[in-house]
This record gives sequence, C-alpha cells and structure tokens, in this order.
Amino acid sequence: MKIVLKFLSFSFFMVLFGCNTYITKEEFSPELYSERPITILVLPPINNTTASDAKEYYSTTVSEPLANSGYYVLPIEVVNDILQQEGLFDTETLESIPLQKFFEYFGADAVLSVTLEKWDIQFLLTSGSVTVKVSCQLQSTHTGKILWYYDDEISVSTTGETGGAKGWAGLLVQVLTTAVKTATQSYIPIARKVNSQIFITLPFGKYHSEYDTDKSYQIKKK
Amino acid sequence: MKIYRIILFSVCLICLGCIPPKTTFYWGDYSSTLYELKKNPDDRTLDDHKKELLLIFDESDRLNLKVPPGLYAEYGYILLKDGHEIEGLEYLDKELSLYPESKVFIYRLKSEIARRKK
Repeated sequence: MKIVLKFLSFSFFMVLFGCNTYITKEEFSPELYSERPITILVLPPINNTTASDAKEYYSTTVSEPLANSGYYVLPIEVVNDILQQEGLFDTETLESIPLQKFFEYFGADAVLSVTLEKWDIQFLLTSGSVTVKVSCQLQSTHTGKILWYYDDEISVSTTGETGGAKGWAGLLVQVLTTAVKTATQSYIPIARKVNSQIFITLPFGKYHSEYDTDKSYQIKKK
Repeated sequence: MKIYRIILFSVCLICLGCIPPKTTFYWGDYSSTLYELKKNPDDRTLDDHKKELLLIFDESDRLNLKVPPGLYAEYGYILLKDGHEIEGLEYLDKELSLYPESKVFIYRLKSEIARRKK
C-alpha cells in the first residue's frame, strides 16, 4: 500500500508540476468570451511553404473541428467560389478588404486566417517524415480585435515496414515502402492531427453543449 | 489514509478532464470526398461528394443530430450550379431554417444567383 501511495503522490505532483505551463481558456482568449462570435468565415489559407497545393487542400479539413467547437462555419467552398468570382481569392487582395465587409456581405462575426508555415518532407532512404506547422488567428469583423491565436507543429513518420523480410532484402523493402509512403502521404490525416491540437484551445461556441462553461479549462500555454 | 483518498480523487478528476467532449455532428467522410473533388475535379468525384453529403443528411437524421453547419448550403449551391434551381433553393432554405445566423449569407447567395441568371 505504501508503494502505491508513494507512486500516486509522485504522479500527482508531477501532474501539478506540469500544470505550470498551462493557463485557463479565459486568460488565453478573454476577448473571445466578451465578443461571443457565432458565425465564422474561413479565409483561403496563406501558404508560406514550398508545397504549392497545400493551400487548396488544407481548407477541406477546417470546417469540421471548427463546427465541432460550436461555431456556425460558413460553407468554405461556396464562400471561396464567390470570392473567386469577385476576383478576391488572392491573399494579398483579401488583406486589403476592410473586415467589416465580411460582416456586411456574409454576416460573419469573425474571420479565421490560417497560415501554413511549414510543410517539410524529410526522406532519408529508410526513414521518412512530414513536419507541418500551422498558425490560426480569429479576428473580429466588428472591432478588428484578435480574439484567438494559436500555432502548432507536428511531425508524422512515414517510415516504411520491412514486410517481415530480414537482412538486405528487408532493408530494400523498407527503402521502397518508405519512398512510396512519403511520396503519397495524404494531406488529410496530417492536417487533422494539427487541427485537433490547435482547435482544442478554442473556447466553445453557441452550438457546443459546454458553451460558456469552459472558461476555467486548462490549455497549454504557448 | 485521508491524504491517499484526496490524491486518488484529484488524479481521477484530472484524468476525467482529459476526456474529449462528445461529438456534436456526424461528418462521415466529408473532408476526404471534398479533398478528392478538389484534387481531381470531374463528374465522378463530384458525384461521390454529393453522395457523401446526402449520406451525412440521412445519418444525422437517423442519429437525431443537426446536419453540420454549411452542408445544406453547399449541397444546394452544387445543385444550383448544375441547373436544378428549385431543389437547390430548397436546400438553401433548409440551411436558413436550421441556422438562422446564415441569413445574410443565404440572401447574398440568392441575389448572386439571380444576378448570374440575367
């Protein structure tokens, strides 16, 4: 019993110790709690990476976590289509539009800007990985204030299996499977992993069962 | 012994706090079919995405969940672009009645469609 007690105390203090780098959601994004945005418009991502098609694909994964957090997310594809028709799809052009216009035209209380900072593919014969860094910023269309900001980086391994083969044959299989896995790594699972880490820090919106009761939730401090 | 109980209780509380909240919506394979559509835009991928949207509507109904925000509007917009005006507008109205905050957007969309028709 003494050992169990010691182990539990140790774990408890370790957890408490770890909490030092955590803050509450309210401390993290007080403006969001005071403005209470409902409708969010997701802008086409800003792509600072070398993966040229990342911009097109990343947006397909954003609606889900954002809506699950309780917000009304304007249909990204439809909004993009309208922006494209108006010749406003380029990031530079979008930046020049006053934020209030997004409320006037689309009824959006806030706009979400997603910036892809890093989408690096490392490939070293038998080992491969994809490292992704994304930052998200929610800005009010009513006051222009930044309501919430978070960024995160993850690395996903694309190292292949040996397929049970040993020695040189196994190594060869591993080199080939790593090459194939790294080259064909789909954007979707990686984007989903990054999103889940980022959007967990976002206060819940109107359509979430815990709306307005999550102020004291602890999140990782950046 | 009291300390032991307090610690055990606190550890349980902390662990409970880590459980992710339950899902509010059913999304099916939405992001995958949309990704395929954007990657290879053709009749087949469009058809797959439309089917997935219909499946999400049915499944949400079956599970007694709200259809996720924006999806009725997205489906309606696809129908309108395909020339199915009446059905397309019906879906835009469904979005509006399910999510009243979409009002400005739906009105904008309807006026945009009327403008394109001219």
